[in-house]
Amino acid sequence: MRRRRFLQTIGAYTALGVVSMIPYGLARLLSPSVHAADHAHIPLPGALADPDAFARACIGCGLCGEVCPPRCVEFKQREGGSDVNTPYIDPAKKACILCNKCMEVCPTDALTVIPIRDVDMGIAQIDRAACYPWVDEGVCGACVAICPLGDSAISFEFANIYKPAVQEGCVGCGQCVEICPEPSLPIRIVARSEGTVAKHGVATRRRSY
Amino acid sequence: MKKRVDSPSALRHLNKLRWVVLTLIFLMLILLPFIHLYQTYVAAHAYDLLLPHEKTIYDVMEWFTAPFVNDPETDLDAIKGTTWSGTFFGLQLSDPLAVVSQVAASFFLYWPFILTGLIPVVVTMLLGRVFCGWICPATFIYELNDTLAAWMRRAGVPLGDKVYDKRIKYLILLAGLVLSMLLGSVMTAAIYPPAIIGRELYYAIAQGAFGSGAVFFILTIIFDLLVARRGFCRYLCPGGALYSLLGRYRVLRIQRVVEDCNDCKKCNVVCEFGLDPLQDGFGQECNNCTACIAVCPTDALVFKVQTHDQAFQGPGHLGHAYRNQQVEEKSGG
Repeated sequence: MRRRRFLQTIGAYTALGVVSMIPYGLARLLSPSVHAADHAHIPLPGALADPDAFARACIGCGLCGEVCPPRCVEFKQREGGSDVNTPYIDPAKKACILCNKCMEVCPTDALTVIPIRDVDMGIAQIDRAACYPWVDEGVCGACVAICPLGDSAISFEFANIYKPAVQEGCVGCGQCVEICPEPSLPIRIVARSEGTVAKHGVATRRRSY
Repeated sequence: MKKRVDSPSALRHLNKLRWVVLTLIFLMLILLPFIHLYQTYVAAHAYDLLLPHEKTIYDVMEWFTAPFVNDPETDLDAIKGTTWSGTFFGLQLSDPLAVVSQVAASFFLYWPFILTGLIPVVVTMLLGRVFCGWICPATFIYELNDTLAAWMRRAGVPLGDKVYDKRIKYLILLAGLVLSMLLGSVMTAAIYPPAIIGRELYYAIAQGAFGSGAVFFILTIIFDLLVARRGFCRYLCPGGALYSLLGRYRVLRIQRVVEDCNDCKKCNVVCEFGLDPLQDGFGQECNNCTACIAVCPTDALVFKVQTHDQAFQGPGHLGHAYRNQQVEEKSGG
C-alpha cells in the first residue's frame, strides 16, 4: 500500500514536470529548426567561434540589430530551433561595415569587443569562373574598392590588373559580396578553415601586430 | 464613526500613474525601432534615394528627435533595447530571468552581464513584483485584454474564469531552466511575454515581419480571455515566478487597515492577480500595482514598511459582520 502511494506520488510529479514543459514545447514547435544554405548566414563580428556556444550565450534581446547602422543584422525569427531569435548576417542582402557597435552593446559574452583585424566572420572566396575580370578580362574592381581593410584583405593579383584575389587579412565582413555587380554572386563568405587565399594555401589567422 | 469618503488619500492616484508608466514604456518600445530606422537612414546619407514611406519616417523622426540631439547617428544610441535587456544612458539593465537563464544555458558566469541584472534584483527585493505591474509591456496588453473580457462578460458572453494552483509557474520556471541547460539555448526567452513583445515589435517595425513569438503571445491572450482571467501572469509566467520569489520578503507592502475596512470586497474583485486583500492575503504574488488602493471606497488599503504580511485581522470595522459581532459580545457579556 505504501509502495503504491509512493508510485502515485512519483507519477504525479512526473506528470507535473511534463505539463510544465508544454509552453516550451509550443514555443519550440512555432520555430522549427530549418537551416538555410550556410553561406547565406554568417556570424556577427566578435561572435563566439562555436555556433552552439553562441546560441547558449545569446539571450535574444535584439540589441545588436537595434544599433546596427547599415541594418545588416537579421534574426532567426521563425526558424531556428535552439538558436531561435539569434542574430546572423546575410552579406548578399546587406553587409557588415565593421563599426564595432554590436560588439559594444551586447550585454552577454556572445559578442565581445575585439580589434577589427581580429574579427573572424569567415573569409571571402571568389569564383573565378563567374567574376567578370577573371572570365573575360573585364574591368570592375568594385570589391577591391569597397573593402574596408584595403590591400591586406583583397587586392589585384600582380600583373593581372582588375583580377581580385583574397588575402590573409580578410575578416569576412561581406562588403565585397554586397557590392559585386555580377548577379550570380561570385563571392561567398566561407568558414576560415575552408577558405583559401591568393597563395592557394589554407588561410591562417594573422596575429603579427 | 464613518470615515469621510470625500477626502480620498493621494495613494489612489498611483494607479493612474502606473497606467501612464505602462503606456509610456509600451510607446517607447514602438518608438525605438522607428528611431533605429531613422538612424540607419541618416547613416546612409541618401535621403533622396529613400522610398516615400521611408521619407515619411525620416521626417517624422527628425521632427521628433531634433530638439534633443545634435548627431542622431550616435546620440540616439542613449536608449536602446527592450525590457529584456537594454541600455539606458550608459546604464545596462537586464531582466533577472535573462541572467538566470543565460547562466543556466551556458554554465558560465559572465560578470559584466550578471551585474546588469543587479539593479532590477535589488528593486524587486525591496518593492516586490513591481516589474509585473508597473513596467512589463505585456501587462499593458493583458490588462486591456482583461477590460475587454469584463465588457464581454457584461454583454453576456460566457468566458472562462478558471482558477488553478499559483505554484504552477514556479514549476514552469524550473522546467525552463532545466530545458535551457539541456538544449543549450535561453528557452525562457521563447515564452516570456515581455521579451516576446519587445523583440516582436522590433521585428515588425525594423525587420519587416513578426516572428514566431507573436503567435505564442496571441495564444496567451486567447488563454487569458477564454480560460482563466490573467491566467498567464498568475499561473504560467516564469519571470513572474522569479520576481515572486525575489519579492517574498519585500519591504514595501500594501496592507489593510482593519479599522477603515467595510468588507465591500471590491479589492478582491479588482485584483488582477486573484489575491485576497480582504482577508489580508497578499503574499509574495502582490506586485504593488495599487489597483486595490484605487478602488477602495474607504481608503482602508495603505502602504506599510514591513517584511511580512499581517495575519488575518478579522472583519472590517465598518462592515456588518464586525457590528453584529460587537452586538453579540455586548449582549453576551
